[in-house]
Amino acid sequence: MLARSALRSKRTVGAVRNGAVHTSKRAASSSSSSADSPFRLNMAGTAATAVAIGSMAWYYHLYGSELHAMTPAEEGLHPAKYPWVHEQYLKTFDHQALRRGFQVYREVCSSCHSLSRIPYRALVGVTHTVDEAKAMAEENEYDSEPNDEGEIEKRPGKLSDYLPNPYKNDEAARAANNGALPPDLSLMVKARHGGCNYIFNLLTGYPEEAPPGVKLADGLNFNPYFPGTGIAMARVLYNELVEYEDGTPATTSQMAKDVVEFLNWAAEPEMDQRKKMGMKVLIIGSALFALSIWVKRYKWAPIKTRKIVYNPPIQAGGKH
Amino acid sequence: MGFFDMLEAALPWSTAEAEAPKEEEEKEEESSEESKDEGSEDKEEPEEEEEEEEELEDPKEKFEEVTECKESKACSPAKHHYDECVERVTGADHGKPVDKKHPEEDCVEEFFHLAHCATQCAAPKLWNALK
Repeated sequence: MLARSALRSKRTVGAVRNGAVHTSKRAASSSSSSADSPFRLNMAGTAATAVAIGSMAWYYHLYGSELHAMTPAEEGLHPAKYPWVHEQYLKTFDHQALRRGFQVYREVCSSCHSLSRIPYRALVGVTHTVDEAKAMAEENEYDSEPNDEGEIEKRPGKLSDYLPNPYKNDEAARAANNGALPPDLSLMVKARHGGCNYIFNLLTGYPEEAPPGVKLADGLNFNPYFPGTGIAMARVLYNELVEYEDGTPATTSQMAKDVVEFLNWAAEPEMDQRKKMGMKVLIIGSALFALSIWVKRYKWAPIKTRKIVYNPPIQAGGKH
Repeated sequence: MGFFDMLEAALPWSTAEAEAPKEEEEKEEESSEESKDEGSEDKEEPEEEEEEEEELEDPKEKFEEVTECKESKACSPAKHHYDECVERVTGADHGKPVDKKHPEEDCVEEFFHLAHCATQCAAPKLWNALK
């Protein structure tokens, strides 16, 4: 396109020059010059337009295309958007899904990922009953207060204890995972661009084999949604990996959906309450607004309905 | 959720209980389960075998691969480009003339376009299929 417009502009420039030559000749040879012919006027307009369009085209050819600092592979594939029910304004978490999601976390994810900001008491009334949560807490051992000799003994967990970390510290986690640190999942939904969609796509998006030509470092797996496409975590969710208590068929995507919803709860445990509070704010706010309108009418009624009348004094006796 | 439940939820003195249901009910269930278990063990075994035979199919894979999405008309350009790229890149390994301009070519971008198209297409169907 650029070449074509350039050619055209060259041609029109030539035409303009010819026209100029003609006029000078004619002016020299004959004194009678009629009004400028519409052909030459059109030619000038066309040439100017062509130059304008050509320069624009050239500009966009040079600067128009968007620049990316990274290749698509380095950016990672943008996650597909799913219609999460709990993300709607008037919907709560599906607590059965949360319970299933916690089961997936506990049986699958927790072997590498910590969930350090969630205590067992937070699960009470959300996914489990008091007794169930207590029983789960007691399965783990925690440090107790120093005893009389100053020794720290182990005690079974209580409701107030936090979910145990799979590794003692980050270094131990790296050492056990080929140098890669499995991140803490407590706030992961908030911490990643794309939130729930990103994690769901990441968990379910492992292709059976990487596209041809891809070279990954040792110990990395191909996942299109992970920036750089090389992720240390291998695919973990396979059909029927867990057995749900409520008989839901444990397909890969069902488990991923449940665990993502659970992680969303872990990151925003206040969401249900927050939405309820938002609704209360709207209700009370609208009631007060309506009230304010009525109060305004009431207060203004005397002013709006007053009548100002001037009664000129009656001048008895006619004119002076 | 009925109207009265909503009303109750809005009242300041409403409470949510996190206690398990009363034990009496549980005991009844347990005893009834125990009595059933002995009789039902024989029945359960053939069922389990049947379950093993029919493997669960992941709905996401089903929608993206098997039915429509990857083969659909909307994704056919992406699929075409990906297939072409696969042929080009793998062909180089099998002794075909190597593309000297791009010896390090991979099909990641083509794969991205295809995967993006297929997941977008399958997303609403998938959510209808999942619980």
